Amino acid sequence: MVEIKKTGLKPKEEIIELLEGKNKIFVIACNKCYKEYTDETNEELDQFLKLMQENGKNVVGTARIDFLCNGQTAGKKISEFKNMDEAETICVVSCGIGAQTTMATLDGKPVYTVSDSLSIADNATTPQAYHGICIFGQKCAACGQCYLNFTGGICPIVECSKSLINGPCGGAKNGKCEISKEHDCAWEKIYERLSKQNRVQDFIFLQVNVNDFSKPTVEQTNALIKAVRDKRDENFYGGLHPYSNKDSTTDLPITAFPEPETVAILLSQHTGRICEPLVKAGEKVKYGQKIGEAGAPVSAPVHSSVSGEVIAVEPLLHPALKKEVPAIIIKSDGKNTPHESIVPNDPEKLPAEKLLEIIREKGIVGLGGAMFPTHIKLKPPKPVDILMINGCECEPYLTADERVIIERTEKVFSGIHIIAKILQVKKVYFAVEDHSQKAIAKIRDYIMQNPMEEDLSLVELKTKYPQGAERMLIKKITGREVPRGGLPFEVGVVVSNVGTCAAVSDAVREGMPLVKRVITVAGENIGKPGNYEVKIGTSVKDIIAYCSGSLSGFDFISYVLKMGGPMMGVQQQTLDVPVIKGTSGIVVFKKADIEQDIARQCIQCGRCVDVCPMELSPLHFIFCAKQEKWENTAAYNVKDCIECGCCDYICPSKLPIVEIVKKAKQKIK
Amino acid sequence: MFILETKPKEELEKLLKPGVCVIKCIGCREISLPEEKIEELLKNLELDAKDVLAVDYLCNADFTKSRLLKYKSEIDKCNSILVFSCGVGLQVLAGMLEEKSAVQGLNTIYISGRGLAPSDYDCDQCGECLLNLTGGICPVTQCSKGLLNGPCGGAKNGKCEISKDLDCAWEKIYKKLEASGRLDSYFRKMKVRDYSKALAKPKQPV
Repeated sequence: MVEIKKTGLKPKEEIIELLEGKNKIFVIACNKCYKEYTDETNEELDQFLKLMQENGKNVVGTARIDFLCNGQTAGKKISEFKNMDEAETICVVSCGIGAQTTMATLDGKPVYTVSDSLSIADNATTPQAYHGICIFGQKCAACGQCYLNFTGGICPIVECSKSLINGPCGGAKNGKCEISKEHDCAWEKIYERLSKQNRVQDFIFLQVNVNDFSKPTVEQTNALIKAVRDKRDENFYGGLHPYSNKDSTTDLPITAFPEPETVAILLSQHTGRICEPLVKAGEKVKYGQKIGEAGAPVSAPVHSSVSGEVIAVEPLLHPALKKEVPAIIIKSDGKNTPHESIVPNDPEKLPAEKLLEIIREKGIVGLGGAMFPTHIKLKPPKPVDILMINGCECEPYLTADERVIIERTEKVFSGIHIIAKILQVKKVYFAVEDHSQKAIAKIRDYIMQNPMEEDLSLVELKTKYPQGAERMLIKKITGREVPRGGLPFEVGVVVSNVGTCAAVSDAVREGMPLVKRVITVAGENIGKPGNYEVKIGTSVKDIIAYCSGSLSGFDFISYVLKMGGPMMGVQQQTLDVPVIKGTSGIVVFKKADIEQDIARQCIQCGRCVDVCPMELSPLHFIFCAKQEKWENTAAYNVKDCIECGCCDYICPSKLPIVEIVKKAKQKIK
Repeated sequence: MFILETKPKEELEKLLKPGVCVIKCIGCREISLPEEKIEELLKNLELDAKDVLAVDYLCNADFTKSRLLKYKSEIDKCNSILVFSCGVGLQVLAGMLEEKSAVQGLNTIYISGRGLAPSDYDCDQCGECLLNLTGGICPVTQCSKGLLNGPCGGAKNGKCEISKDLDCAWEKIYKKLEASGRLDSYFRKMKVRDYSKALAKPKQPV
């Protein structure tokens, strides 16, 4: 890799002249970019501070900021430095872009740059730049009329010192350019490569090229900048647009998955304390019978999803917790004899406390994936004024929620009504991404035909991952910002997934506990993709065997299986895991041709910062992990990470950032 | 920061021999990749290629090297490789496949800045930063003529003579300095640009 030095301090004399008579200096230094992240020192900053000390200048504070050029994140960080108020002069150690951003951000203060950008090496900020993201050496001048097709893939604009485009100047000696003996003649290299490909004749008879320096025009540039920025800045900071891959299942109606012979009901299918089993091996159970419960307030009971006989209560690998948790194994008698506790209720006649009690008793948890007990969520410690229904299925492949909205509209709305009644809110937002046009149409029709008590607004949002994360939704729709480490109720909002709403309706109106859910099964080698209503406890092995025809097409060597979506889903190492309440899908795809590897170096390209919707700087987590200094990750707010996987997805060094985050969270617990 | 546009179909038709393998670099797709235009172009070209091989970060020589090994049989079979990437990506690939002709399907255009979203600001790395004198507005990158000592006089209503879409940098600088009471730095000593500082040194060994 090429070591890049992008900025150098201005000459001493110039700095001293510049700062003459000025005191109370605050220094803002950029943490640099396109440089292997191997240490945290900033040479230019140290030199500057030393110079200030030697000249008796009073430096009131120093701030080191990641990617000072990123106006959106750097601006906020700059304003966070309190002791900047007492500063009279602000000095910037950064490249020209960082300096301009700072000067524009701190419009009312005198800001001086004490460094010059250097044009000595490949790098990503100039027209003479290095465009590819990885630091290896090739450059692209972005001339807008690529000549590489005629020159065998060697760029004459960049590599020929005269940027000739029609052949050598004749000044080269022994293959070296006349400007320097270290510089190869680009045209000699081009000739050699074309000879190897027998293309010299083609080139000789090629018409003479003329470089069109008008490219790109200001109009063209402005239009393109606007297009890119609009797409990037949509809805919230950061995020991505991964390929949706929803086509294979989006039009497939929900079908019941064949009855499983045995089910394994894990006793932990929620956030909170693990349930105690209420049944023993050999006991007969009925469909919907409560078979596990914990005494703790933060918990949710589990129910049998079949009728039959308990064959064992034994530890089983949990697909999300990745450790063994007790599970109740039940052999189905295929009859689904309902339990006596399944009795319908009329929500209009019941008070809120009673409704909450039913929701708790029926084991309802958030079906979006987090599995937070719904009865706790619906009893916020302080009043809320907004209920938000999350129909943003931003994960690729998954279409289960969309199908639930389309096919079970009435249930969803009935659930919304019950939840709104419990929370006593009048304002409801129903957020759906614009890729689910059918769902949007369905909701619109439903609202027209069935006027609601509550004031419900349908919000159609531009598709962007992770739009379905509650913080992003709340911020986009209400403008309220959930504090770091806080929960939505703190800003007066409760967010509920559409699947949860339907489950609430089932629990209250039909008395049906949460024993089945809709999941999307899709991906590579899945012959029968679709949206299936699966009983909780069904083995993933059964599902794969049914959906791919057999198990022979699947192996863990060339495929990855995730429970949930491809971005946030949990990768499985075995098929012997059951579906749990939080399983939104099962997706199978080919292993990436370049796998993640912690041994690679972070090159400080800043892409993780650009995509992080929580506005964190994930690159520091990698650095801390490499140093085994896990405690340092706390200072970079690792706890705020929502593990959406955007940084993982974009990292050009393919570093396992989410894995590092998960580990860091455990270590600093 | 760069933006790409597709090359004309006619130009590519002349270069491609039957038996084409298509490689698309999607590493910077989040910034810009004219995917719809690429699809349309591929349709119009009527190639015999079955699949488009989508890879990310073709510019990363390590990745590209191991991918070439992995897809060796496909690549050995083909006569030309059609690549959709920036100029760097193709150069890296072409450097590894010296005996095959790699055809670039895109033109790379430079647009200001950094990271994923293009920035309002740009830096030309002139090596003698003028921002202290110009109120934080860079005349090298924002003035279409890169003038260092004041406006050319060609601007009308604050817009540059080359395009109505472009503000006159020097008018902006003047207003900024006037507002912050620093006009003295506008009427400063003439500055001569030292181009030797900006001259890129020959490529460093990799």
